[in-house]
Amino acid sequence: MSTAKARAILVGILVSATLLPTLAVADLINFNLAGQIYTKWLYRNNDNQGVLSYGNPFWPDNMAGDNGVSSEFQLLVEGRVGDYVQAGVRIKSRFGALWQDWWENGDIKYDQVENTSGESLGMNRAQYMKLRGYWIRAQLPIPWMDALLIGSSDLGMFNPWTIGKIRFIDRDNGKGIFVQGRVHDQYLRYHAAVIALPKLWVGPGWSTGVGDPLLRIPFYSNDWAYGLKLESDPLDGWSMTLVGTVTLDSEIDMTDPDAAGSLYPTCQDELGNPVPDCAKNGAVDTLHRYSNVVATFENQIDVWDGGSFNILAGFSHSFINERLANNGVRDNAGVFPLVYDTVNGSFVRVRAEFFDVADGLNFKFEYFNIDEHFMTIFGARREADVLWTDGFMEGGQLPTLNLANEFVDFDEDWYESIVGWHGATAILSFVGDVEFNLEGTFITYNTNAQNRDTDNVYPDFLHTDGYTDIDIYDYANVFDRGRDLRSVYRQFQDRMSIIARFDGVWHTGKLNGLDLGWKFKYIYDSDNREDGRDDDDYLGHIMMGRIWLTIPPADGLAITLGGQVDYWIEDNRRGSREQGYSDDTTFKVRPYVDISYAYQGLALRYRLEYIYKDAQRERDVDRTFHVIRSKATAEVSW
Amino acid sequence: MKTLLVIMAVVIAGAAHADGIELKDPKGDDKGPGTYIYPTDTAYSRGAFDLTKASLTDKGDSVEVKISVASRIKDPWRSKTWGGNGFSVQMFFIFIDTDRKAGSGHKAGLPGLNVKFAEGSRWEKALIISPQGTKRLTSEINAKAKKWKKDIVVPTSVSVRGKSVVARFPKSQIGSLSKAWGYQVLVQSNEGYPDKTDLLTRRVNEFNGQHRFGGGNDYNCDPHVLDMLAGQAKGAAGEATGQFTQLKTYKCDDDNPEGGSHATIKMVYPGG
Repeated sequence: MSTAKARAILVGILVSATLLPTLAVADLINFNLAGQIYTKWLYRNNDNQGVLSYGNPFWPDNMAGDNGVSSEFQLLVEGRVGDYVQAGVRIKSRFGALWQDWWENGDIKYDQVENTSGESLGMNRAQYMKLRGYWIRAQLPIPWMDALLIGSSDLGMFNPWTIGKIRFIDRDNGKGIFVQGRVHDQYLRYHAAVIALPKLWVGPGWSTGVGDPLLRIPFYSNDWAYGLKLESDPLDGWSMTLVGTVTLDSEIDMTDPDAAGSLYPTCQDELGNPVPDCAKNGAVDTLHRYSNVVATFENQIDVWDGGSFNILAGFSHSFINERLANNGVRDNAGVFPLVYDTVNGSFVRVRAEFFDVADGLNFKFEYFNIDEHFMTIFGARREADVLWTDGFMEGGQLPTLNLANEFVDFDEDWYESIVGWHGATAILSFVGDVEFNLEGTFITYNTNAQNRDTDNVYPDFLHTDGYTDIDIYDYANVFDRGRDLRSVYRQFQDRMSIIARFDGVWHTGKLNGLDLGWKFKYIYDSDNREDGRDDDDYLGHIMMGRIWLTIPPADGLAITLGGQVDYWIEDNRRGSREQGYSDDTTFKVRPYVDISYAYQGLALRYRLEYIYKDAQRERDVDRTFHVIRSKATAEVSW
Repeated sequence: MKTLLVIMAVVIAGAAHADGIELKDPKGDDKGPGTYIYPTDTAYSRGAFDLTKASLTDKGDSVEVKISVASRIKDPWRSKTWGGNGFSVQMFFIFIDTDRKAGSGHKAGLPGLNVKFAEGSRWEKALIISPQGTKRLTSEINAKAKKWKKDIVVPTSVSVRGKSVVARFPKSQIGSLSKAWGYQVLVQSNEGYPDKTDLLTRRVNEFNGQHRFGGGNDYNCDPHVLDMLAGQAKGAAGEATGQFTQLKTYKCDDDNPEGGSHATIKMVYPGG
């Protein structure tokens, strides 16, 4: 080897040695990995096995149940393709396998009652890794465009009234093309989206065709939603937002001779006569099975330090093609997420807030009026709240019949439909070492009507009466849990409600941060039901009291001890027009303990509660419940 | 009845101690050293990190801190459901120099901010207003800022009022407010899944992403601060330049992602 050649090799090695760490660093900088392990324990004093309190009510699965422990893992991979182009994926294991399911792999060996193979429960217990989301995001050098997103999105750019943010567990299931940008930073910003409709839930019968008995070949691959949001700040402190969305479910026109399975492939009817205007042209026509147009216009005014004002109004148009969408109101016992008719609806919500009306004292007022025909099929189904009132349930109020109160555990929020609500809420709040809210809400109902057609047009969700017990809930209502939270239409209704709430917390400053909390709530709920009858009038007095205390024995650790007492007096709670109604009372006691601990990246939580429920029922056997249940979670992220 | 009496007593006590500090900041300077841009996600709405005003008021046993930004404070991630305080994306740090002695107090900013304080205006107390609840916040402080723990004060209550966040801190941990003290308010963004060394702060990169600010540096050297007080904190337009100048005083080390030196910033002294 010549000296020059040896020198060249040496220089090469040195250069490589110098560059390699830099390249490795660059790779690390441009490639982000994030992992998460989540484990959940459920316990209840019953014989129900599984790890989800409330699973799929329509297609019962074998992962839901009250006793079990299960874990999941997810991996988030993000990378930078170029300076202005990023990509990412989320890979997550299927949740549902119990720790006892040692060998389950999705390969069901044989479908028999006695199965000792260890491979008997299918894919819900297989813990397989699934591609849950994928996205490419680019800030392209195109005028007026800030970013382009192709792939998964939680659809959080619109609002709960139009296209709602997807619930957290489904946050990457929505796919589409999303563009955002600005013509002028202050005066005109926009979001535009084309979104693939989920073949389930965004349509009549919770479907865009699959399973509809009127369809021979469900055609869901061309079902899309379109959304446009325009934002402007015309003045400092005044912002306007206009959102328009269109949801379109299309199906094949089976009279088109070009369609596979066409009714008239030769353009002749059953008798051999030519079908008028029928001719093959190499293209297949489609028809709308369902369409929904929703638009909202919002003004947010914050020009004054002493207050804030918001006006939100909207409009909806809901079209159902009766040839292509089966009538679930008629054929599915009134369980259907839409009015089975072509209807237009509107709403308005006005908010005013006044800050520091006295030292630490704030006041806010909200007026709301949602038309009985306001329909939003793609609006938020849960994990949003469009009204300030605590409502009948604590969780949230949403303007759709398409709520999702399933795939949840017993400690999660519940959501109720506000279609038809007309009323106002006033809340007085104090913030200081003592915090409190004093709420008064009055509601009448645009859905009040006599002899409404709940057999063919208006879904009543089968269970229309009685205050809903979300503590001991069951979808089939065998526990007499009361009204379905989606049930806003009743054949005969003349309803009015008043909600009063006083809740708060006292930060005592003792014992390293002892807090004392309380909540008292009273609901007056009356429904005169059928005009001319006095013996069917519903009157509910719902009373709830809760007190709790939280102590933080150590940094990151919080222990809460609490108790709740409910007493409901309901005249004519349940029954029928023909058989009459019964006067029922319900008494519930629920002591509980909640422990949470956060240490570095580890988050632990444990909740244990006991529920005693005594339902005194005039026309049925009284019922007593003694329920002990708990939920624990452990989560690490890195 | 007893509760009402307690409430009335607190209201009356609060009204009796209205002295305070008021600091202003010009609009439109939510750009860190002048180059930062927001993440692309809709949660980071226009003006969300643009500090306009900060006030500290004596409320008897508490010190009430009110921080205002240019746009309505929103809660896109529903913080109440994860034990939070009613807002999601902002995070505020209030540093106080109570003795105004050169060399006294802490020079380094808290982890994740990537700033240090000038010799003449080191801090003795740091107040944190985060969307995260007390449990998570104290846990993070223990894990990432333990050596400053005794001088970090967390609020007993936090609430949102339009464009403002209002927090109450125990006065026993701060002392009586004084215009002779130095104050600095740093605006950051709450990161629920922060880096191992960051105190719930969101990083700034060279290019922005869905949840990353842009206009900085991919190495961990640039200040992770969107807005701050500068000059006399009167809200004068020129104070934006003062902010940019201070936050530009960082240096990166091209060979070491964790190297370089952090930007040096100063306190604002309302008493002059």
